[in-house]
Amino acid sequence: MTQIEGEPGTANSTTSVAPADEAAPVVDLTAATHVTAVDVPPEILAQSLGEYVRGWWAKVKSGDSGLLPVVVAMVIVAVAFEVITPENSFLRPSNLVYIFGLSAIYMILAMAEISVLLLGELDLSIGAVGLLGGTIAFKLLQSPGPHWPWWAAIAATLVCCGVIGALQGLLVSLLKIPAFVVTLAGYLLFSGILILVLGGADGFLSVSTADPNQAVIYNLVQGVISPVASWVALAVLVVAFGVMLWVRGSARRRNGLVAPPASLTAIRIGLIAVVGVVVVAVCGSNLPAGVPWVIPIVLGILGAWTVLLQRTRFGRYVYAIGGNAEAARRAGVNLAATRTWCFVLCSATSGFGGILLGSFFYGQYSSNTGDPGQLVLYSVAAAVIGGTSLFGGRGKPIHGVLGGLLIGGIAYGVSLLNLGELSTPLEYILPGAVLLAAVLVDVSSRRGARTGSVSRV
Amino acid sequence: MATTDSDPPIAVSETSSPAGAGPETIVDLTAAQGAAAAEVAPEILAQSLGGYVRASWQRVKSGDSGVLPVLLGIVVVAVAFQFANAKFLSAQNLVNLFEQSSIYMLLAMAEIFILLLGEIDLSVGLVMGLGAVVVAELVQPGAPASCALCTHGFALPWWLAIIVALLICAAVGAVQGTMVARLKMPSFIVTLGGLLVLEGAAIIVLHGGAVSIGNSLYNNQQVLYDLFWGKFSPIVSWILFAVVMVATAVYFLYRDTGRRRRGLVAPPLSLTVAKIVLVAAAGIVVIALCNVNRAHAGVIEGLPYLIPIVLVVLFLSTILLQRTRFGRYVYAIGGNPEAARRAGVSLAGIRTWSFVLAALVSGVAGILFASWQVSVTTNIIKSANSYVLLAIAAAVIGGTSLFGGRGRTIHGILGGLMIGGIYNGLYLIGVASEWIDIVVALVLLAAGTIDVLSRRGAQRRA
Repeated sequence: MTQIEGEPGTANSTTSVAPADEAAPVVDLTAATHVTAVDVPPEILAQSLGEYVRGWWAKVKSGDSGLLPVVVAMVIVAVAFEVITPENSFLRPSNLVYIFGLSAIYMILAMAEISVLLLGELDLSIGAVGLLGGTIAFKLLQSPGPHWPWWAAIAATLVCCGVIGALQGLLVSLLKIPAFVVTLAGYLLFSGILILVLGGADGFLSVSTADPNQAVIYNLVQGVISPVASWVALAVLVVAFGVMLWVRGSARRRNGLVAPPASLTAIRIGLIAVVGVVVVAVCGSNLPAGVPWVIPIVLGILGAWTVLLQRTRFGRYVYAIGGNAEAARRAGVNLAATRTWCFVLCSATSGFGGILLGSFFYGQYSSNTGDPGQLVLYSVAAAVIGGTSLFGGRGKPIHGVLGGLLIGGIAYGVSLLNLGELSTPLEYILPGAVLLAAVLVDVSSRRGARTGSVSRV
Repeated sequence: MATTDSDPPIAVSETSSPAGAGPETIVDLTAAQGAAAAEVAPEILAQSLGGYVRASWQRVKSGDSGVLPVLLGIVVVAVAFQFANAKFLSAQNLVNLFEQSSIYMLLAMAEIFILLLGEIDLSVGLVMGLGAVVVAELVQPGAPASCALCTHGFALPWWLAIIVALLICAAVGAVQGTMVARLKMPSFIVTLGGLLVLEGAAIIVLHGGAVSIGNSLYNNQQVLYDLFWGKFSPIVSWILFAVVMVATAVYFLYRDTGRRRRGLVAPPLSLTVAKIVLVAAAGIVVIALCNVNRAHAGVIEGLPYLIPIVLVVLFLSTILLQRTRFGRYVYAIGGNPEAARRAGVSLAGIRTWSFVLAALVSGVAGILFASWQVSVTTNIIKSANSYVLLAIAAAVIGGTSLFGGRGRTIHGILGGLMIGGIYNGLYLIGVASEWIDIVVALVLLAAGTIDVLSRRGAQRRA
């Protein structure tokens, strides 16, 4: 509607100004600045902390609430479970560390799914591919057996899963078979192959700490970094990150580019430091003391995905295709290649998640380790709860981490409640209710954005 | 492309035709006729049996292959498994195969109501699970474990228990449909959240342990048990077949002669007769197979109640989708929702009702599921979820599009039969269950590829 009404208006103004030759560029320029002012979020243009907060709040009110709902939901869930669990045990260090390990598979799979969701596609196979990846890695580590070094087993898993993703991606992007059909078939296919690799429905693979090579995989989730090393690593990371943020911000300011105010950069660095100190302190008071390896691993994958999607040309193309595939194609984006690579990276990430899942279950892999269908549905739910759209073009990897943590937290919190027979159903009902609530918030806020402000197209 | 290519010649003929007011109307008429001929399927206009067969073949070649691929697939599956194991096409195994496929068929038919709209319903499996638990709980004479204050069970008569269970399933569909149609929430998410909530709800209703309907001392349990496991005696089977066959034949002949008398487009008489003969032959084969004694020891023979139940659901859903205004609106929304809205179709109403109907058919599946499993447990409820993706696969294999507007409920029957046949055949030759998933996956992929390639071929030729 707005487009149809807007176009004649533009045409009229152009024709009325057109007779004067030099007038046309002036009109174009005005139009361009107007568009920029509308499209750039207000908080990017903010010059002071107050302006930034006001700009951010205006954005939340206009329907683009970003991480706010999932963070608020996490706080509510944490407080509620802390109050109602027996002996207020939910926020004990041991529980928090366990929840992170439990959620790791959902977080990784959700990050993988987000790369495909951003395209406006869906991958139903990631649960099966993830479990298959974990099984392949565990199979290659067996001794007696292949007894590959741990790094080679991980690399082989990533390659195998990447090839699986490439096959599915090519079917979707070249043959134009709907992703839903291809990955539904992939889900069935790899669920079957997974059992074959395991060696039958009662097959069983395990890695133990006795073998130093297998211990590396066992310790991915179960192992911890010693407290001293944790503090040192945290200090190094915070300093490195702080310097990077500060240098980038001041360089942008020096070059006259749009940059956040210095106070905002300082607050960001402080926030990262506080969160890091809390995490390391909590992990330090757990037994065994120290940060579990899984935390830096998940953060590393989050960092890699964030850089890839937010700071590279590939990432911009992914968002462009999700926003409007035809527009992206006309702008010269290679749709088939970008889509295929998304499926490759999605499957490879899932495969790594599967290795973490085996490590979380004390280094054991059987056909009961995970249900491929349930893993997919939970990871899609995690992505959507975190704030990623199912329709493409909107979402960030951090959504998967926060959504996965929320789902894991709810599942574990319910199991702490000693509800007896009610705890099993609640483990299903609560994530379902949170998912529906998240989408309801998303849909109603977007509707508010559409009716509230006319300027945003 | 197609329209721009064909438009210029018409424009040229318009300008080259003799001047005056008359030619314009003539040109318009020709154009309209051409359009009509293009849009009406050629086999509808066929006047003889040969013409009909030629037109059908033309349609298949043009990319609209209908049920042909899945029929060929079923033949291939049947022949392949018959070679692998001579028991596959035995009467005993074929009845068994149909029983195993029936849940896929019903859930696929439920899913097709939603797929036709261009939406998806991931919750059909657990609506089935909920229906199964509810119907089993309602006929229990003893106090249910989930009710601390009850001194005795609901002990409803079987027919009331079925009605209540179906109403509860329909209500679930209405809630989900309202969220999709009126709150504009994506159906994928609503039904994903819905399946999680339903899984919990069904486990709460069950409240641990197991609920059995296998006690033949209670008539109400016996009736429910017989829905899946019971059968007509051979004589009654033949009588039933004869009655249905006569009714079908009279209806076909009456409708087509009525159309011919009024000068409407009607299939040739030979085609009507051929259709009736085909239905009769299929019926005779089915009844004859069912009447063979299929027990290892003792006597088990006759038409299972299950077959007429599934056929009634097929018949009602086909009438609803092909012969009523509601059905036309469903196809219209699936084809182009905006066009349907502008034509005055109530999108929200039709969408909500489709979700209600899908949940209702899933509820029917649930009652048969309870009857099949005899004893409903937590694990049975959890396993109900595994049927969803296979039901969608059955619909797609049968020929229904995932993008809405294309499909019939018969596709669910044929796709379900194909998947059931693969499962049954691979079990028969002693292949482990993981291979079954792999084969179903490859069939699904083939169905998707055939669909895409045939549509692309049709576009190129057009």
